[in-house]
Amino acid sequence: MSNSADYAIVVETLSKRYGDLLAVNEVSFHVNKGEMFAFLGPNGAGKTTTVEIIETLRTPTSGRVCVLGMDVAKHKRDILPRIGVLPQGFNSFDRLTVNESIHYYARLFGNKTADVDGLMDLADLMDKRDVQFQKLSGGLKQRLGIAIALVNDPEVLFLDEPTTGLDPHARRAVWDVLLGLKRKGKVVFLTTHYMEEAELLADTVAIIAKGTLVAMGSPGELIERHADYMWLRLKCVDANVGKTIKQMGFAPVLDSHNNLKVQVKHTDDVQKILNAIKGAGIPLPGLDVRKPNLEEVFLSLTGEELHAGALTAGDAQ
Amino acid sequence: MTPRIIAANLTVRLKTFRREKSAMFFTVAFPVILVLVFGAIFTKPEHLNFDLPVQDRDQSLASGELLKRLAADGVFKPIALPADADAGQFARDHKLNLVLVIPHGFGDVLTHRLTHRDDTDSAALTYIYDPSSTSVTTKLQFLNSMVAAANQQMSGTPPFITSTQQSILSKTYRFIEFFVPGIIAMAVMTSSLSGALNMNAELRQKGILRKLATTPITRTDWLLSNILYQLVLAVISTVAILLVSYAGFGVRLQITGWLPLYIVLEVFVFVGIGMMLTLIAKEAESAAAAANAFLFPMMFLSGTFFPVEMMPGFLQKFARVLPLYYVNEGLRAAMIFVDNLAALRCGAITAAVAAAVFAAGAVVTRWDREV
Repeated sequence: MSNSADYAIVVETLSKRYGDLLAVNEVSFHVNKGEMFAFLGPNGAGKTTTVEIIETLRTPTSGRVCVLGMDVAKHKRDILPRIGVLPQGFNSFDRLTVNESIHYYARLFGNKTADVDGLMDLADLMDKRDVQFQKLSGGLKQRLGIAIALVNDPEVLFLDEPTTGLDPHARRAVWDVLLGLKRKGKVVFLTTHYMEEAELLADTVAIIAKGTLVAMGSPGELIERHADYMWLRLKCVDANVGKTIKQMGFAPVLDSHNNLKVQVKHTDDVQKILNAIKGAGIPLPGLDVRKPNLEEVFLSLTGEELHAGALTAGDAQ
Repeated sequence: MTPRIIAANLTVRLKTFRREKSAMFFTVAFPVILVLVFGAIFTKPEHLNFDLPVQDRDQSLASGELLKRLAADGVFKPIALPADADAGQFARDHKLNLVLVIPHGFGDVLTHRLTHRDDTDSAALTYIYDPSSTSVTTKLQFLNSMVAAANQQMSGTPPFITSTQQSILSKTYRFIEFFVPGIIAMAVMTSSLSGALNMNAELRQKGILRKLATTPITRTDWLLSNILYQLVLAVISTVAILLVSYAGFGVRLQITGWLPLYIVLEVFVFVGIGMMLTLIAKEAESAAAAANAFLFPMMFLSGTFFPVEMMPGFLQKFARVLPLYYVNEGLRAAMIFVDNLAALRCGAITAAVAAAVFAAGAVVTRWDREV
């Protein structure tokens, strides 16, 4: 058993059952101090249930969860002042302004010295300070939610799907705020179903599917470990190219843009394929080689997609 | 209990209230409109006046005298119908619900009776009326009593039986004075219960309660914040009702310490009930239905608009389990009858209900997601 005080969060064989549904099944992991931790999984995988147990909002069916060395089942009142939470689909009071909302939550925490201006600055909300919540766009609401989650200067920050439902521009703006937090060394526990978000922000990624933790590590490690291949893409190819590659024992696929994609293990394979094309006297087409991303790791681990349109996460939803 | 947190919540609610024009309008306007409407309908029945279509087929001095007596106290204003018309048809054609017909020979019969002292002589008036009309009963009552008076005076027989009225109350009160305490109790109940219910259902639906659950606020803080806010609204609407009642109808009520005490207790009771109903009505849409299902029986069966003694026996028994009944009774005891003992008795019952509901509300209000 790990010493829970050494980590920001320790989760040990956590299970949560709702009637017949086992929403979380013996999940164990820990979050290091100073790290940004992404909890990645499709809708209904058990992300929010897990995070709400860690936030003391739900009680576990079995297992143990410690935050900052304290058991969530016993120390709710001690934990709450030291964590900050952005719940899924954050809302504040419709007719309160940005400034008033932050002040309100600061008063709840008894934080008279809360640097409201600093928080508005951090979330890039200064020019919206006197705008009522109901008039804010989705991205601004989320940024306000993040600022509010920081009013008590928490040691651990929980962000439950901070960019779900936002357009690509608003999502980037939220990411900028999160990158700022990362630079400050805050422990951030991020749940998301955007692999792009996890890849960009997280030090450690844990992948959950159907209530079970399927993999954990840094984005790079996960890709190394679970997707040890590369994609060679050949542009606008001659029909004979596919035939030539097939004869070499590879399985090329034609994508919707009429590009040929070939999965290869080593850079040597790329060399061989290019040589074969050259040898067949076909003019060398445009090409690129890329490593697989977390989405593909996820696919290979679970056999299911993170969410519809995940490969172009920036445009989804 | 943390005063800082309660103050923060109260500030938020009051800011929202101030910025929500419609909420402000309804808090003040709804009870005021009720007072005005019911006050106008039910007060000063002595100032009632009706047109009285009359077909005078006699056109004599005597029939003229009768009409003068009927018109004497201003309730009826006789309007002459053509003497040769078919009165029944005329009433149907002109949608009249009451027509008085004075028969031909009315004056001759009277003269004969007075000169020959013949008590068997009589003249029959005819009331042609529409029994489906709601106001016709009132008109007939007035008309009958006036005709009876005219009967005595014109036939020259002084009455044997006379009567005087003596109230068992130290002072007489008018309907509007009975009505105002009921309206205050109703306004406070409505805004407390539906205010607490709607607000909590909305905050739950928007996930604000979930966010609040991650802050140091406790259930007691939350309940007290709601109660304090509803208390402010209750004071606003009570003051508005009293101002309109005094200015518009010149009511005479005893404003003592009982009134604020009852308002505080009532807010506790109905905010608590509203918080409990939030558990059943989880969405804002069903909250309104739940509130109405609770409020309407309470409103009509607790003696808000009329004394419970007017209801059938089993409903009177039922009224005694409704908390609003004791608020109504207690407020009337204090404000109209100056019966401190009755006010104390009803106040004690209301206080017991308030304590029970508050405790239950604090227990059932759930912050976390297990509900």
